[in-house]
Amino acid sequence: MNSQADSKPDRSLDLRSITRIAIHSARLKDGMDEIVRALRSEMIFDNLVTYAIDSDAENLDVVYARALGRGKSAGPDASWGEDFAGQVMQAQKTLTRVSSDEVSDDRLKQVYLLGVPLRLREALQGALIFIRFGGPDFTEDDILIAEFVATQVAILVKIQKMDRQIQALETQNQAAQLQEDFINTITHELRSPLGFIKGYTTTLLRSDTDWNEKTQKEFLAIIDQETDNLQDLIGNLLDSARLQSGQLPMDFQAISLDSIMNGVVQRIKSYHPDMKILLELDPETPKVQGDSRRLAQVFENLLGNAVKYAPGSSVLITMAPDKAGAVVLIRDYGPGIAPEYLPHLFERFFRVPDHSPTVHGSGLGLFICKQILDAHGGIISAESELGQGTIFKIWLPSPAGMFSSQ
Amino acid sequence: MKILAVDDEPLYLRLLKVNLEPEGYEVITASDGEAALELVASKQPDLVILDVMMPKLDGITTCERIRQFSNVPIIILTARGEEQDRVRGLDVGADDYVVKPFSVTELVARVRAVLRRAKNQEDDITQSRYFVHGNLKIDFARAEVWRDDKQVYLSATEYRLLIQFAHNIGQVLTAEDLLMAVWGNQYKDDKEILWVSIARLRQKLEDNPHSPVHIVTRSGLGYLMPPLEEIKR
Repeated sequence: MNSQADSKPDRSLDLRSITRIAIHSARLKDGMDEIVRALRSEMIFDNLVTYAIDSDAENLDVVYARALGRGKSAGPDASWGEDFAGQVMQAQKTLTRVSSDEVSDDRLKQVYLLGVPLRLREALQGALIFIRFGGPDFTEDDILIAEFVATQVAILVKIQKMDRQIQALETQNQAAQLQEDFINTITHELRSPLGFIKGYTTTLLRSDTDWNEKTQKEFLAIIDQETDNLQDLIGNLLDSARLQSGQLPMDFQAISLDSIMNGVVQRIKSYHPDMKILLELDPETPKVQGDSRRLAQVFENLLGNAVKYAPGSSVLITMAPDKAGAVVLIRDYGPGIAPEYLPHLFERFFRVPDHSPTVHGSGLGLFICKQILDAHGGIISAESELGQGTIFKIWLPSPAGMFSSQ
Repeated sequence: MKILAVDDEPLYLRLLKVNLEPEGYEVITASDGEAALELVASKQPDLVILDVMMPKLDGITTCERIRQFSNVPIIILTARGEEQDRVRGLDVGADDYVVKPFSVTELVARVRAVLRRAKNQEDDITQSRYFVHGNLKIDFARAEVWRDDKQVYLSATEYRLLIQFAHNIGQVLTAEDLLMAVWGNQYKDDKEILWVSIARLRQKLEDNPHSPVHIVTRSGLGYLMPPLEEIKR
C-alpha cells in the first residue's frame, strides 16, 4: 500500500476541513481519528503518534497513536518513534530520519520517520511523528502537509490540556466554595438574631423614650425568641461538630418510637397550634434500639422543616414494622424538592437554593439527622415530587434484628 | 420629615419604625429594592435607610439607581466585616452607613446628622424620576428607555452611557470623560469601544442615525446631548 502511491497527482482532500475538525472536536481522540481519516488520502504512513509534554514539562507522553499499515500487527515491537520524538523536540524543527537494518529484509526494520514539533504561541507542546515502514522517503510535499497538520494537532493538544486544568480547578473551587458558603451562611445566621437582640435591647434602653408595658413585653418577646434561635443554631453547630468527630455519646436502650413521636408532636403543636398532624401507628411496630433524646431531635427537625418549607400543609406520620426493624414516614404536601437537589439533601451545609432568603436555616439539620441515624445503624432517605410534597423515610433496626446481625 | 426604611426582614422595619416615629419622623417601609425605587419616586422621602443584603435588587444597586434621579440622603445598613459593601455603597452615592448589629441610639443620631447636613446643602433633593428629550424618555427608577412611547432595550453599558449625556445636558463630553465614567480608568484610551457604543445607541434611539439629534458629535471635541430648545428647531 505504501509503494509509489505518493505520486498520485490529485490532492482531492480539502485540507481546510482539518481546521474544522481541530476546532469542533470535543475530545482529542475524536479529533485525531478524524484527522487521520482525512489525511490518509493525502499522505501515506503506517504509524502516527502524537507526543505531548506532560504537566511538569519534563517528559513526553503519548496522547494519541494509530497504526494503519504494517505496524498494525507488529504492536509494541514496531517503531513508534519514541527517541526520535525527543530529537524533534530538542531540535525544535521538522526532522526526517531513516533507520534501516541493512541485513534484514523485514520492511518493519526499515523505518522512515518524519517528525514535526507541535507549537502554539511559540511554546512547544509536543511532537507529531509519522512512520513509514520500508520507505519511500517523505517528499517535500509530505513535509508541508505534515507541518500544516501539526499546527492543528497543537491546538487539539492544548485544548485537551486546558480542559483538564479547568476540570481540576473546578473541583478545587467546589470545595473552597462549599467552605465559603458555610462561613457566609453561619455568619449571616448568627448575626441576624444578634442584630435583633441588640436592636430591641437598645430600643428598650433608650433614655429619652418611655415605652408602655405592652410594647415592652412585645420587644422582650422578640429578644427572647431570637435568643432561642441563637441557642438552637449554636446547639446545631456543636452537635454537627461532635457527631462528625464521633464525640457525641449515645445512650442506647430499647425504646418505642410512638411515645417519642407523641412527645415531639405535642411540642410542635404547642408552637404551631393550627398545624394538622396525622399519626398512623401500626401496633405491630417493634421497639428499636436507640437514644430517645437523639431520635426526638431527628423527628423534631423533620417536623420543623415541614413547618418551615411546607407552610400550611398537613403532615402525615406513619409507623410500621419493616424488615427486622421499624419504618417511620413523615410526609408533607408542600411545594416539594426539585430532583436535582435530592441527592444533596443530607450533605453538611447544603440548602435548597430556591427558598426565600427570609427562611432561615444553617444547612445542618438534615446532616445532623443523618449522622444520628448512622450512629444507630439506621437509614434516612427522602422522596419528593415538585408540587406534590416530600416524604422522609427512616428505618431503624429492632433490638432483635441488631443482635442477629452481630 | 419622611423616612423610607428598606429591609427584607420585617423585624428590622418594625425596629426602625418604633425608634424613628417618636422622633417626629414619618416612616414608610419597603421590603425590596424595586418597591423602594417606586416609593422614592412617588413619595419623595427626605431620607432613605437601605439594607444591603436583600433578595432581588440588592441595596448597592438600589442606591445606584436612586442616585440616577434623586439626591435624597441615603444611609446603608451593612454587616460587620463587609467592608467591601460599605466602600461600594459610599462609592455609588450613599451618605453614611451603619453596621449591623447596631445600637438604635447610634442609628437615630446618624439619621439626625445626615438630615442636618442635607438641610445645609439646600439643593433640590429630588429631580424628576423621568427625563424627557424630544421623543426620548428615560425612567430612572426602572432603568427603562422609551422612544416614541415604545420601549427601547439597551445593554447595561449603553444605558450608563446614555445617563452620562442625560445628566450633562448641553455639555460637550470628551471621549476620555465618557470612557472613564462608563468603562473605567483602564479603558480611557479605548476610543473604538466608545465609537461602536455611540453608533449602537444612535441606531436604537435616533430616527435618523446619520443625522442624530439626541447624541451629537462635536468634531475634535467630543459628544453632547443638546438642550431641548435646540432640537425642536
